[in-house]
Amino acid sequence: METLEITSVESTTDKTNKMTESKKFSIKKTSKELLGRWFHLMTLGRALDEKAPNYLKQAIGWSYHAPYAGHDGIQLAIGQVFDRKTDHLFPYYRDMLTSISAGLTAEEIIFNGISKDTDVAGGGRHMSNHFAKPEWNVHNVSSCTGNHTLHAVGLGRAVKKYKHKGVVISSQGESSVSEGYVYEAINGATNEQLPVVFVFQDNGYGISVPKKDQTANRKVADNFRGMKYLKIIHCNGKDVFDSMNAMTEAKQIALETSTPVIVQANCVRMGSHSNSDKHELYRDNAELNYVTEYDPLAKYRRLLVRYKRFTEEELLAIEAEVKLEVKKAHKAGLSAPDPDPASIHDFVIPEPYVSEKYPEGLHNFTGNNKKLIEGLNETLKAEFRLNPDTFIWGQDIANKDKGGIFNVSKGMQQEFGKDRVFNAPIAEDYIMGTANGMSRFNDKIRIVVEGAEFADYFWPAMEQFVETTHEYWRTKGQYSPNITVRLASGGYIGGGLYHSQNIEGALATFPGVRIVYPSYADDAAGLLRTSIRSKGMTVFMEPKALYNDPKASAAVPEDFEVPFGKARVRREGADLTIVTYGNTTHMCVEVADKLAEDTGKQVEVIDLRSLVPMDIETILKSVAKTNKVMVVHEDKVFSGFGAEISATITEKAFDKLDAPVKRVGSEFTPVGFNRILEKAVLPNNDKIYAAAKELIEY
Amino acid sequence: MKKIGLFYSFNTNKTAKNAEKIKKAFGSSAEVESVNVEDVDEEMFLAYDNLILGVPTWFDGELPNYWDEFMPAIEDLKLKGKTVALFGLGDQVGYPENFVDAIGLLAIALEERGAKVIGLTSPEGYKFEKSVALRDSKFLGLALDIENQAGLSNERIEAWVEQLKKEFK
Repeated sequence: METLEITSVESTTDKTNKMTESKKFSIKKTSKELLGRWFHLMTLGRALDEKAPNYLKQAIGWSYHAPYAGHDGIQLAIGQVFDRKTDHLFPYYRDMLTSISAGLTAEEIIFNGISKDTDVAGGGRHMSNHFAKPEWNVHNVSSCTGNHTLHAVGLGRAVKKYKHKGVVISSQGESSVSEGYVYEAINGATNEQLPVVFVFQDNGYGISVPKKDQTANRKVADNFRGMKYLKIIHCNGKDVFDSMNAMTEAKQIALETSTPVIVQANCVRMGSHSNSDKHELYRDNAELNYVTEYDPLAKYRRLLVRYKRFTEEELLAIEAEVKLEVKKAHKAGLSAPDPDPASIHDFVIPEPYVSEKYPEGLHNFTGNNKKLIEGLNETLKAEFRLNPDTFIWGQDIANKDKGGIFNVSKGMQQEFGKDRVFNAPIAEDYIMGTANGMSRFNDKIRIVVEGAEFADYFWPAMEQFVETTHEYWRTKGQYSPNITVRLASGGYIGGGLYHSQNIEGALATFPGVRIVYPSYADDAAGLLRTSIRSKGMTVFMEPKALYNDPKASAAVPEDFEVPFGKARVRREGADLTIVTYGNTTHMCVEVADKLAEDTGKQVEVIDLRSLVPMDIETILKSVAKTNKVMVVHEDKVFSGFGAEISATITEKAFDKLDAPVKRVGSEFTPVGFNRILEKAVLPNNDKIYAAAKELIEY
Repeated sequence: MKKIGLFYSFNTNKTAKNAEKIKKAFGSSAEVESVNVEDVDEEMFLAYDNLILGVPTWFDGELPNYWDEFMPAIEDLKLKGKTVALFGLGDQVGYPENFVDAIGLLAIALEERGAKVIGLTSPEGYKFEKSVALRDSKFLGLALDIENQAGLSNERIEAWVEQLKKEFK
């Protein structure tokens, strides 16, 4: 392949520059071999783009197809400058030619289009037209438009930290730039000075919404002009040579200066947004003729003949070759195996780290007690000493003597340096999204993030959270985001609506994440160690009211490990089972002691420790003994995680129950700031005592 | 005055109509030959010392494909001794950031090859934000906006042609 190094290329940003400046690629100078290869790729891409709707018409598949015709120049160029050995590429759902130009074969495109098990993106698990090949660093991205910009930035961070020579290319439509997280991504890439090329393929529409309804600048890249260290290049995305020169320049700048570049490529959308859209409903004939007239493939073909680089016969021969290639790929596609329905539970989440020394997550260590916050801090440091590929970031994580909003990470930056322990901007989605991105660099990396200052502020990160839960399954095990998301959670601090929330019930509805919620220092340390050592994502809920509470302190073995899905019986009893976790564990133990004193009845208190996966065996074993069960947690009773526990018990142990499963938790209101209101909303010893007594007496 | 080659795309509607108006405005004062730019080659382009080029602005400030495809040829031409005037359609309301950019793109490219660009006009009476066609407070040709100022086109054409009659040799 002709090398793509360039000596000097004027930016097309400033149009008053010389118009006929000699460029690296031009119809006259580019080698015939390369011109021919491009024509082959473009013809192949267009043939597949035009063939895709037929699969839907014949009810074979490809029910989502976003035609790329009109984006041919820039898509060819993105794929051509991408080097799979050194670079990373995030194509979006319209990037068929980008993917082909990057090396995907016609068969691979069709396998994805009709969702075959052989689809290299992920065996038909993701939508059609979401082309990817993780093995080559062509990443499998979300349908959530532009969300991969944050992944690209995270990867760019890894590229820089590991001093890797390569760039990250992120591609998207111009309307997706309206998403707030795209701003976060570009702001972060400039602030961290990362080698990321953002390509905006501008076809003027976000489905049917014209760009005038998206933003004031017709060229959305110009919205970013004030950002430091950012280069913006405009090019004609319909023109092969302008696109090749722009992308080559962009890659060179990103590589040589480790700074981000935006390439805004002006394209046309010759077709509808997708096969569920009818552009005739919002575009008139004049416009449709206008965009079709600038068919980039037809233009490129005319140039090849006009400047005598190819004869008509030579081009016809290439077109005939492509026809055969598509025919062969079509046959292969139809005979390829479908995914096995029995495989749906494969690759939901990777197997976790296995503890050999503490298989039940229990110990008999009798050293000095440590506070919960000390257990966390010391475990973080121990794991960071053990594994040099560990990183932690978040808001307030590293400022002189401050380490995290509650000082959980105190002293870490001093010991492990700014490269591994660093602050994040106040942008929770950025914190989460760049963790997803950075983890892609290699699977040795283990990331810990403080997902937000408080769990209450994690909501802006939800789209990246959801996205991250999908990765392992969607790629059929090809990519595992290895991330521990720490969240200071819960109330009892007089924090009001936004410093008291429990969000585990909402998060637990997503397959693809583990959720743990310790109550004591030893379990906190053991679960954190297991989280950091495991592949996959774990949400680590920290009951912030207990960080320094002597009630939560415990003796902590230096190497303690708590496996996921192992509950701990904190108090034994035969008259009632209480299933709980987090802040309410301590209340339940206290209530059980008081009930024993007052009534002589013995309550068994099970501290779940791990919500997903949940230790149902320990619960059922206890219920078989006590025949009565109460679920207590801090979160709201209505739709709280206790609903899942309760339903599972009812389903699996109905015949063992002598009373309905009872639940205690917060009222179905926000948590009031005034202490009187807070007390009225949250569960406490009195409420738990009354409910437990009532159940015992049932 | 030497013969003038009037280059524009015969496939266009609006540009072609205005080209014909320009031709008509010259009357018998000059010999004006219309040339379809879609079929133009280097030889046809060089056949004239006086040229008028019709170049509407496409999309967000681009040359139309027929001119863009001729640009690689222009890069190798020696245009010393050629006198060129450009007119182009643009939309100052819909595309205020790129109003008649194409006039500027083509004019600058031709100047770089040695051509002399004439027929510069005042931007007074137009309202836009940016234009590549604007240099030293003058448009590098005649800007026509039939989307928003159709009623002004005729007088603008007439005044421009009067100016060209003086500036063409």
